[in-house]
Formats: sequence, C-alpha cells, structure tokens
Amino acid sequence: MIEIQINNKSIKVPEGITILEAAKLNNIKIPTLCYLENFHKVGSCRICVVEVEGQRNLMASCITKVANGMKIFTNSKRVRNARKLIYDLILSDHPKDCLNCERNQNCELQELGSIIESDGEIFKEYAMSKSSIDNESPSIVRDNAKCILCRRCITMCNEVQGVGVIDIQNRGFKSIVSPYFNVSMNSASCTFCGQCTTVCPVGALKEKDSLTLVWEMLTNKKKRMVIQTAPAIRAALGEELGYPPGTLITGKMATAARLLGFDDVFDTNFSADLTIIEEGNEFLKRVKKVINGEKAVLPMITSCSPGWIKFIEHYYPELVDHLSTCKSPHMMLGALVKSYYAEKIGVKPEDFFVVSVMPCTAKKFEITREEMFIDGMPNVDAVLTTREFGKMIREAGIDFKNLEDSKFDDPLGISTGAADIFATTGGVMEAAIRTVYEIITGRELPFENLHIKSIVGFDRIKTAELKLENVLPEWKKLEGFVVKVAVTSGLVGAATLLEEIKAGKSPYHFIEVMGCPGGCISGGGQPRMTTDEVRKKRMEAIYKEDEGKELRKSHINPAIKSLYDEFLKEPLGEKSHKYLHTHYIKRGKQ
Amino acid sequence: MRQIKNIKDLETIKKEVEQNESKYKYILNICGGAGCISSNCLKVKDAFEKAIEKYNLKDKVLLKITGCIGSCAIGPVAIIYPDRILYQKLQEEDAEKIVFSHFINGTFVRDLTYYDNHKKEYISKIDDIDYFKKQNKIVLRNCGITDCLSIEDYIAKNGYMAIAKILNGMSQEDVIKIVKDSGLRGRGGGGFPTGLKWELCKKNSATQKYIICNADEGDPGAFMDRSVLEGDPHSVLEGMMIGGYAIGATKGVIYVRAEYPLAIERLSIAIDQARKYGILGKNIFSSNFDFDVEIRIGAGAFVCGEETALIASVEGKRGEPTQKPPFPAEKGLFGKPTVINNVETFANIPAIILNGAEWFNKFGVKNNSGTKVFALAGDINNTGLVEVPMGTTLGEIIFDIGAGMKRNKKFKAAQTGGPSGGCITGDYLNTPVDYDSLKELGAIMGSGGLICMDEDKCMVDVARFFMEFVQEESCGKCFPCRVGTKRMLEILERITKGKGEEGDIELLENLGNMIKDAALCGLGQTAPNPVLSTIKYFREEYEEHIKNKKCRAGICSDLFISPCQNTCPAGINVPGYVSLIAAGRPEDAYDLIRKDNPFPSVCGRVCTHPCESKCRRGMLDEPVAIMDLKRYAADYVFKENKPRKDIVFPKNGKSIGIIGAGPSGLTCGYYLARLGYDITVYESQPVAGGVLAFGIPEYRLPKAILEREIKTIENVGVKILLNKEVGKDISFDELRKKHDAIYVATGTQFSKKINVEGEDLENIYHGLDFLKAVNFKKITKMDGIVAVIGGGNTAIDAARCAVRLGAKEVMIIYRRTIEDMPADKREIRDGIEEGIKIVELTAPVRFIGDKKVKEIECIKMELKGFDNQGRKKPYTLKGSEFKIKVDNVILAVSQYSDLPFIRKDEVQLTEWGTFIIEKDTMMTNIKGVFAGGDVVRGSDTVITAIADGKKAAINIDKFLGGKGILNTGEEIEIPKPTIDTEIVEHERFAMNYLKPEERMSNFKEVSLGFHKLNAIAEAMRCLRCDKRD
Repeated sequence: MIEIQINNKSIKVPEGITILEAAKLNNIKIPTLCYLENFHKVGSCRICVVEVEGQRNLMASCITKVANGMKIFTNSKRVRNARKLIYDLILSDHPKDCLNCERNQNCELQELGSIIESDGEIFKEYAMSKSSIDNESPSIVRDNAKCILCRRCITMCNEVQGVGVIDIQNRGFKSIVSPYFNVSMNSASCTFCGQCTTVCPVGALKEKDSLTLVWEMLTNKKKRMVIQTAPAIRAALGEELGYPPGTLITGKMATAARLLGFDDVFDTNFSADLTIIEEGNEFLKRVKKVINGEKAVLPMITSCSPGWIKFIEHYYPELVDHLSTCKSPHMMLGALVKSYYAEKIGVKPEDFFVVSVMPCTAKKFEITREEMFIDGMPNVDAVLTTREFGKMIREAGIDFKNLEDSKFDDPLGISTGAADIFATTGGVMEAAIRTVYEIITGRELPFENLHIKSIVGFDRIKTAELKLENVLPEWKKLEGFVVKVAVTSGLVGAATLLEEIKAGKSPYHFIEVMGCPGGCISGGGQPRMTTDEVRKKRMEAIYKEDEGKELRKSHINPAIKSLYDEFLKEPLGEKSHKYLHTHYIKRGKQ
Repeated sequence: MRQIKNIKDLETIKKEVEQNESKYKYILNICGGAGCISSNCLKVKDAFEKAIEKYNLKDKVLLKITGCIGSCAIGPVAIIYPDRILYQKLQEEDAEKIVFSHFINGTFVRDLTYYDNHKKEYISKIDDIDYFKKQNKIVLRNCGITDCLSIEDYIAKNGYMAIAKILNGMSQEDVIKIVKDSGLRGRGGGGFPTGLKWELCKKNSATQKYIICNADEGDPGAFMDRSVLEGDPHSVLEGMMIGGYAIGATKGVIYVRAEYPLAIERLSIAIDQARKYGILGKNIFSSNFDFDVEIRIGAGAFVCGEETALIASVEGKRGEPTQKPPFPAEKGLFGKPTVINNVETFANIPAIILNGAEWFNKFGVKNNSGTKVFALAGDINNTGLVEVPMGTTLGEIIFDIGAGMKRNKKFKAAQTGGPSGGCITGDYLNTPVDYDSLKELGAIMGSGGLICMDEDKCMVDVARFFMEFVQEESCGKCFPCRVGTKRMLEILERITKGKGEEGDIELLENLGNMIKDAALCGLGQTAPNPVLSTIKYFREEYEEHIKNKKCRAGICSDLFISPCQNTCPAGINVPGYVSLIAAGRPEDAYDLIRKDNPFPSVCGRVCTHPCESKCRRGMLDEPVAIMDLKRYAADYVFKENKPRKDIVFPKNGKSIGIIGAGPSGLTCGYYLARLGYDITVYESQPVAGGVLAFGIPEYRLPKAILEREIKTIENVGVKILLNKEVGKDISFDELRKKHDAIYVATGTQFSKKINVEGEDLENIYHGLDFLKAVNFKKITKMDGIVAVIGGGNTAIDAARCAVRLGAKEVMIIYRRTIEDMPADKREIRDGIEEGIKIVELTAPVRFIGDKKVKEIECIKMELKGFDNQGRKKPYTLKGSEFKIKVDNVILAVSQYSDLPFIRKDEVQLTEWGTFIIEKDTMMTNIKGVFAGGDVVRGSDTVITAIADGKKAAINIDKFLGGKGILNTGEEIEIPKPTIDTEIVEHERFAMNYLKPEERMSNFKEVSLGFHKLNAIAEAMRCLRCDKRD
C-alpha cells in the first residue's frame, strides 16, 4: 500500500493501480470516455485528465499509475476547463441528431454531457471530419460521422478477437476507423462477430436494422409469423427492459412475443437439443471411423457460431473439414418450421416468416448464406438482436414487467436444460457430453449437477478428459478410450487451437468454439455494455435455468423423439442431411 | 580485408592517409551536401576532374567530395587547401579557370571567391569570412574536410579512436561519467542530460537493450541531422557504439526518414565499411563488446520524432505515441530498455570522449555546454547551417553570421524549434540562445531550425502556417490534438480571411493552453506554441485582423486590394491612381488621391512612402515610384490650371474647432467641411501648414505649392484663423463653448535638449527652431563649419539648408553608421552630393567655447548588441575622445509637444506629454475633444498625421450623430489592367533633378518631377496586384 492524496485527502491505495482506479476505490468517479475497464486503456480521449502536483501537463488518469506521495486533483480549475473544452471539441465533430439516434439515452457521450458544464457551440464555421456510412454488410453498420475515434472497437477487433479487420486509417483530423483502403467491412474479412458494436460508446457501430422489416411483416395478413429466441436471450433481454443483469425473463418474453402478434412462439432451445443429437452422432461416427482404421477428420469442431464459421472460412480455410456439418440451432428450427411444422399444420412453407431473436450480429449474415437455402427459401427470414427485440417491445408499449409468464408453443418450444447452456462457453460441449456419454455407457454423466467443472468459466482455453469405461456392448471398441475435449470462446483462443491442428499437434477429439468471449451471453447483439460482471451474472442465470429444468439431457426431450419418429427418422439421415446440415466455403483472406 | 583490432591499427591507417595527402600540393574539397548537389556540384566536380586530367595535375591535386560546409546559399562551394581559399557559386566552366590559374599559376581566381555584400568586397580566405569566422565546429568538425565516403579519412581525423580508447579499459561507468560531466544535453530539442539518460538505462538489469539514433528530422527548414549523416556518418556510428557500450546494448537502430535518400546511402556505405574493418560486429577492438547497427527507414511522419511513436514505427506498427511514463529507458523497443538520442547528440560523443568533459565545458554557457548547429532559413541573407557555441546571442547568429535580412528589410521575429517552437521578437536579439533562455521566452531550442522573418511577414499568417503543418502531422490519436489543432487552424483561417470575431483570440488562447496541457505527446503539447507565442508578442496584429480587418504586413490577401494601399496609413488607392496615370488620366488620378488625402502635392514630395517598400515590383527590379507619380498628377492639375470643384454637402449647423493648421488639422477640417460642418482652424503661427510650412525646407517643398494645396482646402469652407493662439488669444474653455467638438492637432514643435554640457552656447541651434528660422527668413546666412547632430530627416534638412546658407563646410555627426540613418535614402544621397560629410559612429560629449561654440568634443562609438530591429546598438568607446572645430552646431535629435492651453490636471497625457486617446474613437478623456497626429503619436510622418485627420473626421461625425461616412465625391472608374503576359524588367524611369551646382546656393526645388512620357511609362510598371482572380 502506498499513500497518496486525492483532492487534499490522504488515502492508502495498493501500488500499481491507476489514478482512475485509486479514485474509484475512494468513491470518486473521474469521468471517462475512451476507457473500457479491463479492455481498453490508451488514454486517447483525455477526458479523464487530472492534475498531478509537480507535473507540467495534466495526466490521463486511466493510464497513469499512482506513485507514493502523489498529490492528485480531479476537479481543479485546470482540469475542469480541459475536460469541458475537450468535450466541446468532441461535440464539434459529432452530429447533433441525438433525438433520432438509436443510442439516444443510451449514449456515453450524452451521459458525459449531463455532468460536464459545456459552453455549447463555441466554434463557428467548422468542418466535420468524416461522413461516410458503411452499410453494405448484412450484419453491421458503421456510421463514421458519429465515430469519436475512441478506438474501443479497434481493440476488440485486434486484441480481443485477434481478427484485425478495422484500424485507424489516415491521420490527424482525417483519421477514420475502417478496414484497409476504406473498403466496406463486407468486402474485408470481417467475421461479423459484432463485438465492436457492443463497446461503441456512441451510435457509430450498430447492427443492421431488421426491425423495420419485422414490423412490416407483422402487418402482413398473408404471413404466418414465427418467432424463436436463442438460449442466451432469456438471461439478457431483461437488461433492455429495466432489469438488472442476470434476470431470467423467459416466460414474460414468450408472452411479449405473442402480444407483438407472432403466431408461433418457438424456442431455439428445441433445436439446440436437436443439434446435440445430430452433432453427437456425427462425432461418434467420426470416432467410429477412426477406431475402424478409416479416415475421418478429428478433432471435430462445433458449428453453432456463425462469426466463428466466417472466421475459419477466411483465416483457416484449409481446416473447414474439421467443422461439424450441423447448421446452427436457429437455422435448423427455421428449416423445420418450413417443412415438418408446415406439413403438420398445413401451411405452405413460403407463407411462413421466421424471425430469430439472437444475441448475435453474425446471424444476420448467416441467414443470407445461399448454401443453407432450401428449395430457394431461406431457413430464417429475419434476425433481431437482443437489443432490437428489446426496442421492439418498448416501442410496442408492452408493460413487460407486469406480464404473465407463458410457455413456448408446441412442438418446437419444448427443450431440456442441455439446450439452455448453449448460451455460454462450455455449454455445447457439456450438453453434447451429457448425451454422448449416456449413449456410449448407458449411464448418466457421473458429475455433480451434470456439470463438467473444468470447462465452465471464462478462461480462454479450457480442456477436459473423459475416460470411457464399462461401455455398452455396441461401443466395445471404445472401452478405456480417453476423450479429450477443448472449449474456447473468442477468436484468439480459436486461432490458438487451430494453429495446433495445423501443426498436427492437437490432442483433442472434440472442440467447442464460440466466436464471442464468454459465448452467446456476451454476443455482439447483446445489451450494452457487457462488462465482466455482467457476463458473470448472465452465465449464472443460464446455469440456474438449466438446473431448474426437469429434463436436462437433449436425448430425452420428448419432442425431439417425436420429430425423429414422425419426420426425420434417424440422426444423420437423408432428411437431416437436407434440412439440418450444410457445408462451408473456403473464403480465404480478402 | 584487413581488420582493425587495436589503437595501433587505427594509427597505421591515419599515417597512411596523411602520407598520401602529403604527396599532393593541393587538396580540392568540393562540398557534396544535398544543397550543393541540387545546385549541380557533381557536374562541377566532373569538370574539375576533366581539367585536372587535361593539365596533367593528377599527382598534384587531390579531389575530395566532402560533407556539407553549411553555406548552402552560395553553393556549389569548393575550398582549396592548404591555401584555404573558398570559391562560391561555381559553374562547370569555372573549373578549368580555377585549375589553370590556381593550380598551375599559383594565383587564385578572386572574382570566383566569396563576395561580402555588406562590405562590398571579395573575401577569399575561408577564415576571414564572417559566416565561418564566428562558428565553432564540433559536430560538423569533419564536414567540408574529410571525404564523406571514406572511413580512412574519418580515421585520419582520430575517428574510432574514442571507442578504441573506451574498449581498451574504460568501464561503462567511466563513459557515463564523462558524458555526464560534459553537460551534454539532448540535441533533438528536449535538452535532457544525455549522461543521465544513459545512466538510467544502464541501471536497468535487462539483458537485451537497444540504442536508437533518431534521424527523423521533421522540422520545416531544419537539416542539420541530414548534413551530419551525409557528411560524417562515421561520427554518428561511433557515438552510437559508445552509447551502446555505456548502457549495455549490442544493437543500434538508426531511424532515418525516407526523404533522406543520400543520407541513407552514405550511412549504409559507412556501416558496410565499419563492418568490413571489424569495427562493427563481434569482439570489437579485441574486446568482448559486440555491436551492430541497422537502418530503419521511416515514411516521414513528423510525430515519429516523438520517442514512443518512433519505437512503434521501428516495431512495424502505426507510428503513434504512447504516454510516458513508462519512458523508453524502462520500456522501449520491443519492451526492452532503450536509449534514443538525436544524430547531433551522437556526433558530439566521440569528441567528448577524446577531449574530455572539461574541454567540452569550455564551449557554451552554464548548464548549456558545447555547441549547437542551427539551420538558418527564411528571409535571411546567409541561409545554411551554422554551428555556434551555446549562448551565442540570437542577434549574432542572425546578423553577424547570417548577415541580416534580405533586401535590408527590418527584422521582425525568429521562429526557433520549428512548428513546435515559438517566435522570438527583436526585443530579445541579445538573448543568449540556449535551452533555458529560450524556454523562458516561451520558445524552445527544438532541433535547431531558425526561421527568420522580416517585417513583411504577417504573424497571424505565420501562426496559421505552422498550425496547418502540425494539424496535418497530428497522428490523430488523442482528441485535444486531433480536433483541437483543426479548430485552431479554422479560427486562424477565418481571421486571415477577415472573418475573425470578437473573442477569437481568447478562444485560441484557451484552446492552445488546454492542448498544451492535455495532449498525449510532445507534438500536441507543443503544437499551439506558434499561436500562443505570436499572440503573446503580436496581439495587436491579431486585433487589427479581427477588428479593423487589416493585415499590416500585406499578406492576408482577403483584407486589402494591394500591398501598397494596405501599407499607406491613409489607405490611398495606389494601383487605382497609378493606372489612371498610365491611362493618361492624371486629373482622375488626382481626384482619386484626394478621396483619401487632400495633400497630393505635399505627399508627392515629402512622404516617407512606406507603400514603395511593399511594392511587389520591388521583388522583380525596383518598386514603382509611387510618390513621384502622385506629385506628377498633382502638378499636372495645377500646371494645366484645372481647378477642382469638390462637392460640399449643405451646412448642417454644427461647428467644429480645430487647433493647429498642420496636415492633420487641415485634413480633418477638409473632410468635415465637405460633410456640411462649419470649420474653424486656430493657428498660432502667421502661416498655415504647420510643420509643412516651417519645418520642411523650401527646396523640398516650395511655399507656393503648399499654399495652393491649402487653398483647395479653404475652398470647401475651412476657415483658418492665423496668429490665433489658443490659451493666449482665445481660451480653451471658450473654444469648447463655441464648438460642438474640438480636434487638437498641435503636433510636436519643441526641440528636445540633448543634455550635453555646453548645449546653451551661442551658435548652437535646435533642429526645428533652425528650420523655422530659415523658412521664416530669420536666418539667411551661415558661415564657417557647421556640424549637425542626428541622423533623421531633420538633420539632413538642416545640413542641406546650411549648405544653401553659405556654410564653408557641413558635417553630420551620427552615432551609428550611414546605413542605419533613419533619414530618407534619397535625401542622404543628395546631401552627400552637395558636399555634406557624414561622421559616423561619433557622438558629442561636450560643446566647448566661450559664449560661442568653438569645438565639439566627440567620442567614438562602437556597435554592440542589437536593438529590436536588428540595428546594432552604439556604445561609447572609452578613451576615444577627440575634438572637432566648429562655428555652428545644429542639434536635430527629436521634438516634443507642449499644450499650454490645457490644464494638465484636466486631461490625460503620457509621460512624454502626448495625449492619451481612446483608440477606436480618438476622443480624449474630455468629452467632445478629439486629438490626433503627432500630439498623440509623438514625432511621426506627414502621412500618419493626414490619416489621423481623416479618421478623426469620421469619428467626430459619428460623435455628432452622423454615420461616419465621408463625402469623397463621385466614383472614379479605374481602368482594367491590360493583359500583359510578358513583364519586361525595367528599373524606374528617370526624373529630372537640379544638378548640385545649380542648387547649392539657392532654395530652388531640387526635384523637377516627371516628364509626362516618363510618368506614363513609370505608371505602366505597376503590376496591378490589386486585380486578382
């Protein structure tokens, strides 16, 4: 501990922390703008400057470490004047269309304005530095005019995700955030993971709008409107509607969807269970082949995360055969709505309009992938992010907090706890093992609460080994086999595991990859901001949902059983192939 | 190739080089700096080689291409040793001439050697040239001497001896101690003690460390680093090796900008040579010290001069700075402890090691030891590189070495430290240039760029220029710099376009100080300096731009129609009337002048014509004779007897009293009368015209001409009451009761005493009293020897009157030199023609005589230091007293005003007795009483008095409820310029003058004016810069 003074008050703080952190520990919040706890500390906006006695210049508190005896002033005249002028400067290069900006009342720049005594417009005849809008991609819109160049998105793209599609182009006043040569993100090798959109403090980065289309379709009498919500929505949507992070609002969400006018309210969880059956069997098939001395590509890697899929297609195209051929769960559900369910209720497939509420921006791109079209039709017609869905409910004037709980519709609304945990890193793997282990041994996974502890949590790469003993006779060859699995979330971890595969050194048989750090609970379409604390809360909620369910293993989902009986017949069968599986494109870097 | 393993090996090579050189009779060094290369020195070199071959002198003459000598303005340059003769501005054809004459005949070619424009003589020996004489070369010690491509030549000058000495037993601590003791501070501009930096890095226990040479020289106009790299690359390598050894680094990186291809090429050659000799590599000088150097080429971003940005760039990242701390010495290149020093810093190191810290401390001043290289640029005569001891004054650098401003313009300011620096004004020419004094002035040393600016530079525009540069170079990372510099630039652009608003200066200051305070790196923290320092020293110019929409330097072209009009205090439309004369319409020209000045005949004769000093034609050949053309137009109108009928508005019933019928009072009366006011002018003298009537001799301004011009003023209704002294004949209070407003324009008619013993002796006159007496015919004769003390127009007028009154001998005693005399150059010339002797650098200390003056005891003056315009200041030279026999003395020093009619407790006056007025309204602290001209300004020019009179008329009209718009008659259509694609160079067309013998015994007007044809031709020389598209 060292002793410092903040605003003439002596305090003891741990060595090595920044002035900002020291102030926070002592209940002083220094205003910040570019700073993003744990992720982004570059000291570029200078809003957080403080006066340190003996220093010629003001110091950025977010990156200046405390030193013994330091005397810090956070509200001196010099500091307040600088803060105010910098704020005025930022505003002078920022559009003043707050009232019709989608970040209105959810904007960090606005929030700053509420605490800084700005002089308002002090400049005359000034130029704006940039104006271009990149809305070519199906997932992400980048409005350069609104960008304040805090560079958080760059840190997310380059350091957190390791993708590096965007960076600063040009210099000085002409600086912009953009892919190389200012090409569209759609032309660059962007994965559309959307992590950049989750950290943007203003309205410069956001998802491509699908709300307009969905509202439009809801008034189209000819369409049968189907909605499905991803596992991760139930633990995050609440934040858009005034609940604290980690509040589960599953039942109210289903009610709200009906109030909005959707005819069928399904749960992507259903198809998550289905994914386990298909993917589990695909894995076993590959393992069997290897045991029989045939060629099969291992490790197999999960394929539910479209940002991750686009990443491997761009950066490791030679390894796409490692991917499971399973479509992502909401695509499976969409495909089943327009086949199995259509048949069942006698509606023409083309009369459905399937809306997926997803924690993800890459899903908006995924539904446009032509290789997933069936009979010329997309599986899903529109993807709304959690943020968009929240806005939709607010716009509709639904008094969400006072809604009754209700259930998803049958049959595509029935799911097990295994499906819930698809929302979080490690969840798909755990769900798969719960099923695969039981298929092979005939026994339930022998862990407390069915959780595989070593793959739970936010570590970048998590691994587990599972020895198969006393297997069922048909799996005799697997007796004593040690299944090695790895789980990662975020694309830096994915790249690490892929490099191992590339080098022929991967010890794993099965790998789960989720494109966003922490999994879908902190997806690119989730409510802002996803801090570590928020992430943790959402994860806890998801496990709670799982543990609260009676059925917690995909293969015992009765609706899945009926689906196979009535329609699919068998896992990996002909129909599965048509409706539930896909292939990938070796895109390479652009 | 043989290896160099110890000091002996170095000495062997040194001996070989010396023996080889001793075989030649001459060594011909041709400057191979980039400046000389662009002026074609390589062709000159080829020509020399050819000639040497032709005359078979290959065994006699050794030709070398050397590094930059620094005198870039006179390149290509060659120096011949052992004679030390410097040849300048060489052309290919000169080579053979020099070879033949110098090498064969042994006589140097004088008219190809250095010519001193000031002294007007050839100075052939390099040691005698002021430019070189006052320099002291440590960093540039080998530039101009050794072959820049030869490692052997470097070794012959004790090169690599320092590192050899170190590796032969000196510890890291020993080296650091010497550097610390030497007091060497970082030459990149920050001035951080080099030894201390090394010590901090040395203390770090990391195994891998780096040493980086910052050769990303980005200041506009600065090129010392480039010159050292091009001219003496080995000195930098050796410096880096020493630094590397001291801190414990085995790897050095030189970060050079891509814009320096020649430096990169020569540096690469040097590195190769050193590697081949084993000087770079493993086990250097048989020690266990390994060291190698790598060149990294930067794309030339100004911000990469900033250490952390440079490191990022070397690492292959975008060149952007990060916050310090951590400093590179803790966490630098690739996260390892790193020392970054500038090229010049490294070049100093070997010399310090070899000669010791004490030796280095002998140069410079306290806490600022050694020398500094400066790049002189801008409006200075000798542009180029100079190396002087720290603490040399700015004046010495600019005037003694740099030979002052081009075209004899006045010095205005110098910008040090490039765009990050600040400007220094003439008031600080005697300030020693070192890190600490510059900082005190709000400027910085920077890398040593010294941009000199003359009176024709607009400081707002200068600030705008530098702001534009830093704004372009801002990396854009931190917000204050990215947006703030842009906003500052925009404000400056608005101001220079005449759209400045109240509050802009304060906003610039506020923004500037905030950016300095809050920006992330050194670039941003210094970016506002040029703006802040120009506001500090030239706030008035900013205010003029904003309030009066005026750019006094005539640079901001949106604010004026032409530089001449802009410079004229009365704002006369000069190109307008000049073009009317050219079009054969002298009457219209006369009328156009009178819109702004009712005294064309007077100003056509006695104006100080500041307009001509700004005439763009002056850049080509000679300024247009604007004043003489004005006289031509006026004379034409009177000669042809074409009376003008000025339109006068009907009487408005208000009455104005004007005290003093000088140029200011009459001008004010003229314009107010035309607006319909009733004007009465009270004049204490028996004639009207004030100083024009009694202070300017007849031969310059004939009475008749003045009278006819005053008549035109009386014609519009101005009543002049002569012999009517306010305070005596009429009281001031009475005057105030009688009139609605009063304009006081009494001028300064009382000569100042000079406070020298014997000043009250008989036959000692005061300048203005003397001229008055001559004009009023009170003195009609003067005998014997006349000495005039002073250097202004009054002194020349008095001296020339004395000649005309019959004096046997007339001399002017002046304490400075003729060049420094403030009098009109033409008047000085005419006076000398009439036999007046000018005794320069002399001042009176005592007048001796009994009753009548008989002798003046004088003292010689010497010039030392500088005044704020770059003139040297005179100081008495003790013991140099001498006596001059005289019969009459005229003291023409200066005048003051006295206001006997006003109670001194009633009115606010300055300590010099002049009025204090409210700047914008010209009103004194007494309501309705206005003042202008010399009584406010102190002794000034006729044209400013006229300008004040006009401005007073506007203000008085406003005060009395008018709009303040003068009645200047009908619009006069100004001819369009003819499209002249070819501008023929031609000096002024001649005017006629009386010859000295025709004029010396009488008071006839000396100048006879233009002949019509010459007037039209002269007027056609106008470039019409008022018409721009």
